[in-house]
Amino acid sequence: MTTTRRVLYVLAILAVVLGIYGFGSRLLFGERDVHYGSYVNWGLWVAMYLFFAGMAAGSFMVASLDYVFDIPLFRNTGRYALWATVVTLPGALILIGFDLGHMERIWKVYLQPNFTSLLAQLVWTYSTFLVVAVIALVIAMRGTRTALKPVMVVGLAIAIFVSGGVGALLGVNAARVSFQNAMLPAQFPVLNLASGIALLLVMVGFFGVLADPERRIRLVRVLSLTLVALLGVKAYFLWVDYSQALYGQTQEAVAVAGQVLFGPYAWAFWVLQIGLGVVVPAIVLLMASTSRRPPLAALMGVFVLVGLAVGRTSIIFPALAFPEFDGLTEAFTGPHLGLDYEPSLMEWSVTLGVVGLSTLAYLIGTDRLPYFKRTPEVAS
Amino acid sequence: MSEHDPATRNGAMTRRGFIKGALGGGALTAITAYEVFAIQPEPATGEKLPPPTGPTSTLSSADDQTDVLERMRVELLRALDKPRADRRWVMVIDLRKCVGCHACTIACVSENKLPPGVVYRPVIEEEFGTYPNVGRRFIPRPCMQCDNPPCVPVCPVSATYKNEDGVVVVDYPECIGCRACLTACPYSARTADFGLTYTQDAPLAAGLIAGRDAGAAYEKASNFEYGTEWPREGHESPIGNARKCHFCLHRITAGELPACVTTCIGRATLFGDANDPTSLVAGLIARPNVTRLKQELGTEPRVYYLT
Repeated sequence: MTTTRRVLYVLAILAVVLGIYGFGSRLLFGERDVHYGSYVNWGLWVAMYLFFAGMAAGSFMVASLDYVFDIPLFRNTGRYALWATVVTLPGALILIGFDLGHMERIWKVYLQPNFTSLLAQLVWTYSTFLVVAVIALVIAMRGTRTALKPVMVVGLAIAIFVSGGVGALLGVNAARVSFQNAMLPAQFPVLNLASGIALLLVMVGFFGVLADPERRIRLVRVLSLTLVALLGVKAYFLWVDYSQALYGQTQEAVAVAGQVLFGPYAWAFWVLQIGLGVVVPAIVLLMASTSRRPPLAALMGVFVLVGLAVGRTSIIFPALAFPEFDGLTEAFTGPHLGLDYEPSLMEWSVTLGVVGLSTLAYLIGTDRLPYFKRTPEVAS
Repeated sequence: MSEHDPATRNGAMTRRGFIKGALGGGALTAITAYEVFAIQPEPATGEKLPPPTGPTSTLSSADDQTDVLERMRVELLRALDKPRADRRWVMVIDLRKCVGCHACTIACVSENKLPPGVVYRPVIEEEFGTYPNVGRRFIPRPCMQCDNPPCVPVCPVSATYKNEDGVVVVDYPECIGCRACLTACPYSARTADFGLTYTQDAPLAAGLIAGRDAGAAYEKASNFEYGTEWPREGHESPIGNARKCHFCLHRITAGELPACVTTCIGRATLFGDANDPTSLVAGLIARPNVTRLKQELGTEPRVYYLT
């Protein structure tokens, strides 16, 4: 076992241990200790659900490069990407499940769904996606690629649909100027693909994945350049979003954009989302020498993932923190009736726990499953 | 009036002085009034002016001293005799009469036994103008009971819907608590019940905090929203649910006006069946000074404001 893996095991177990408090609090006392409320009604868990679901869908898209499109350079990466889907998707579902006031009633969405609701559509589609991903994994474990392809095609279509669907879940809200634009459903599949590419870069860079060092270097180079291109698209989306909002001068759009760009958490946008999540990785990954240092490329992948995670929060929180009426929060005060949102310790704890569980599942799976012990195929 | 005036002695008015003054003042007023009306010119057309109309003519005219509450109660009973689908409950809020006392908010909290962090009817206070020309306005904001409610289609389990009376309701046992309806509502008219109580952090020294136990017991007692008993225990609904104003349906069906209506000290909040052409509210919502919040969204609110 490499040092990186050992460190990751320790960190993952530590995260799970830290998560026990949050899981316990949520299961025993409900939502008593959360900080989201009735105005900022979706908090860290929803943002991280978007992030985890994005990684799951993006990883499936990446797996299709091997299992559907048969791209030689990506041969043997599909199983890792598919496994990444299977370990991150439950994480997303735990997070969104914990966010429900009555998670024990989730069965109602299956037995008495209202399909005009984007949320109901997503619950059904995500469930189908999980089933398809598991079926694909089982088939892939048996090594029968012919049977795998049709399942992967179906899964790929669902992955793209759920990615756009999550954007639409926000976008259909006419009450929120910042949500209601066609950009969200359009940009989420791209951002999710970026998540998937970044995650594969992390796996290839830190854990090898490919036996052939030369092919690994070539793969790192291709992943790096693809990721830089996707970061360019992400930067363009951000520019379009915020420049239009500021240029249009409508009160709500300006306020929300201002909150992200110049508000108290502007450092998260500029430092984490743009600096760490776009600029630094773009510069480092563009350098040809980086591909010869896969761990450095992998670190850049981690940076990109952090930037994407922070990006989810800057989509959700500021938009909800804009009051529907001036003076609403002063009209009646009380717990959960404010516009300032900072996740509670319990919310962080749950999120850490989920990160730890997914990471641990990934490590144990890639260590123990015979699926990952077969001799890697060599690209022609 | 000087210190030596016989009408005053030691600063106090005598009975004789008061009567003389009153008679004198009254006579002067009568003469002045007569002169004013006497010089009132006839209209240029020579026609008589129409009888005065305005806010007071519908609410409580000189020949009808019935309190609007009584009138609305009678109209409510009349509406209850109709099939449910034939009624159209609306609320009219006269912003010129609202003094911002928040009695409606408190009445609503009390009636529905709302826990901390849950509010159905806040009163938003607005200041406008620049000194010395400044003003204040108070805008009560109940649920708008929209005819095209954005909160309904987003519910994944159809736990929220417009009932036969046209009131947007929440079926508590069905609600999964996803809060998608909170995001969808353009009026922030929904709040989530996170299971808090006012007494939960009160000191535990039994017997030392007056009323603590009684307060705690009161908080655990049931409310009767939607005509059902909802005890506040464990994690049972409405804890974990989205909650909202429902026009006090449980009171309406019992022939009582919503709590916010009966407690409004200025009679600024009015309620009734807009499908009854003789009802108070039907007359008021046909006024040119009526408006609704965020009409541009096409939500068709059933709460009207008189400005």
